[in-house]
Amino acid sequence: MDGSEALKEEIQPNRKENKKVHEPNKRNIWQEMKKNYASYLFLTPKLILFTMFIAIPVIWALVLSFQEYRVTESNIFVGLQNYIASFESTMFKKALWNTFRFTIVTVPFNIISALIIASLIFPLGKLSQNFFRSAFYLPTVTSMVIIAMVWRWMYNYDFGLFNHILGWAGIESVNWLGQSNSALWALIIMQCLIPFGVGIIMYLASMGAISKNLYEAATIDGAGPIKQWLYITIPLLKPTTLYLVILSTIGSFQVFTQIIMMTGGGPDGATETLVHLIYKTGFRDFDFGLAAAQSVILFGIILIFSVIQFRMLRHDD
Amino acid sequence: MSLCSLIELIIFLRGKNVVSRFKKSVLLTMMLILLVGLLVACGGDEGTTDEDGNWTGTITIWDGPRWPDADDNKYHWLEEKKAEFEDMHEGVTIEIVQVPWAELPDKLGVNIAGESWPDIAPVDISGSAVSSEHIEQGVIEEVDFLSDDDLSDFYDNALEAYTFEDKLYGIPNSITVHSMLLNLDLFEERGVEPPADGKWTWDEFLETAEALTFDRDGDGEIDVYGFSTYILEGYYEAWPFFYKDGGQPMNDDATEFTFNSPEAVKAIQDLADLKLVHDVAPMAHGGAEVGETFQAWANEEQRTVAMQPWATWAIQSAQDAYPTNFMVAEYPVGDLGEPLTIGGVGGWLMFKQESEAKKKVVAEFMQFISDTDEQYRMAVEYGVFPARISAADMDPYADNPQMARAQEMSEQVVMVPSHPQWKQIDEIIQGKLQVVFNGEKTAQEAMDEAAEEIERILD
Repeated sequence: MDGSEALKEEIQPNRKENKKVHEPNKRNIWQEMKKNYASYLFLTPKLILFTMFIAIPVIWALVLSFQEYRVTESNIFVGLQNYIASFESTMFKKALWNTFRFTIVTVPFNIISALIIASLIFPLGKLSQNFFRSAFYLPTVTSMVIIAMVWRWMYNYDFGLFNHILGWAGIESVNWLGQSNSALWALIIMQCLIPFGVGIIMYLASMGAISKNLYEAATIDGAGPIKQWLYITIPLLKPTTLYLVILSTIGSFQVFTQIIMMTGGGPDGATETLVHLIYKTGFRDFDFGLAAAQSVILFGIILIFSVIQFRMLRHDD
Repeated sequence: MSLCSLIELIIFLRGKNVVSRFKKSVLLTMMLILLVGLLVACGGDEGTTDEDGNWTGTITIWDGPRWPDADDNKYHWLEEKKAEFEDMHEGVTIEIVQVPWAELPDKLGVNIAGESWPDIAPVDISGSAVSSEHIEQGVIEEVDFLSDDDLSDFYDNALEAYTFEDKLYGIPNSITVHSMLLNLDLFEERGVEPPADGKWTWDEFLETAEALTFDRDGDGEIDVYGFSTYILEGYYEAWPFFYKDGGQPMNDDATEFTFNSPEAVKAIQDLADLKLVHDVAPMAHGGAEVGETFQAWANEEQRTVAMQPWATWAIQSAQDAYPTNFMVAEYPVGDLGEPLTIGGVGGWLMFKQESEAKKKVVAEFMQFISDTDEQYRMAVEYGVFPARISAADMDPYADNPQMARAQEMSEQVVMVPSHPQWKQIDEIIQGKLQVVFNGEKTAQEAMDEAAEEIERILD
């Protein structure tokens, strides 16, 4: 068997065998549950908590999105009025566009940078690998509130780090967070420069699971490190990439802490994002029906993006 | 025993065949009972009413930190009042919930939405979690228990702030005003005379700001600016300037946006031009940084701005936490010909009560903590102006000329418009003001845009 056949074998495992493994179980599902009732009983506490704190609120939000919330009286059914109001709102459109811009830049940047960093760390010795792994993961365990406060200082007009550096180059200071044309970009730059720790760790773990045989076979066939990276590493990391892209997209669409800590959505809505707007609609204006409709729209957007990404990046394509 | 532990115990015993005879329905019932018990435990206590109609039980009151005692306890005043009231009313317990002021509006809003409101809470009706919609929905109890004599003891503008459709929905407790604070050390350093008795015109103010803007160390960079303020939704330090030529944000019945009128536009542009044209204000002028703005005026290590407008709390802060040699001045007078300032009214609200008997006791406690003596004490210790005329007549600021000067400005107070959607309207206005102050748009362009967006809300 030459190298390319080995590669084919590794990438495309025996489909027949696979099919056999996943053959549907024809036994009655209830009988199966009865047999394993102890497992289900163990799951019950978590299921109760999930139902109480996730499932019921989600369903309640969906119901609420068709209602006008009243405190001491019954809610009023308003049909699609909250959805129409959302799409007619200038601020909602602005928030949608800002969130989209934030996501479209930060997600690819974070994923690609995580892949490159992981690829650079992976060949290192165990000690160095552990050091860099910890160093890049550190921001993930640090509160975003703290990170945002540090970045606020770095963006300060009078004594911030960035304007200090611009000053050395003789460039005029920039009002990073105060100008509507620079504020969102300041937040995007911040998000891009914070290492995507989870991505790096997951890529490193996935790289470790790739068989060395593939690289040996590719070397025998004359492929250099770049080609090996492009044709072995990246394709085999596709499931991880898919997971990280979806995870990162959801995170970007839900960006909130940076906004509330650094700009509050201003100036003039230049950094308003969907989740921050939902928060304001719900907890400042107490228009829970409208906030629920905005949440459902956000859910729909994330779902559509996730399905598209899943279809584009799924492993068996 | 927690639910998880119970289930694990059942499984363990099941494995040991101890409860093998237990039917599933029994296990399920036990779990349900436990769950219901947990939920019931989260419920409130409405107290009891005896045959004579006397109510006993717990009254919940929220409050923020006020002035500290020797042990740095900032809730000691309310704790004292609680103890006194409980002594007078056997069987009545006052539960104090301590809430930082900054969190109070959000927390109150969430609790209102969840119908788990306190019995009493301190609410500045001009910019809080409570709106006229809540009054319409019956969340707030009407204050119909004050006598005519008692009502006549309050300033009219204080009562008006808590009045909705001719009914009173709160007991006013304090009035705050915004005033100009002038760092006299910087005036002296530059040889500039402060305005006589704190009264001045816009031109005099501009001239003073120019004289107070200077490069102290000769490095070509300005070290001290004459003036600065900030723009942020819910805050109105800058707004009295926008009224100076006769403009106002909305017409009198709050049905039309009017900040795009020539008078208002000119006033807005004038204030922005302090930075954009006259260079007498720093880049932070018109930004959203509250803390940094105050530090630039008050912090001894900075003092990079000579004049700033602030609410009443800053006067006490400049006397205690940030000792500063300062004076209180009025906002400069423009084409309107008279000085104006924005004020706020704080007071106690009673939330919906389940029984008349409890409402009576809650009302009694509200009156107990907002009588003349308490408002006088609040004025002396906490630095707010009394809403009761009798408390103001006791001259709480006899030894505090700066507070006394600010209190004189209570007569110049105008309130922000009262509108159910004021928060959304305010957000649009303040956002547009920010882009005027950072030079991206002229006041006319920004206010015309604001008008378009606000008209949609008003429609």
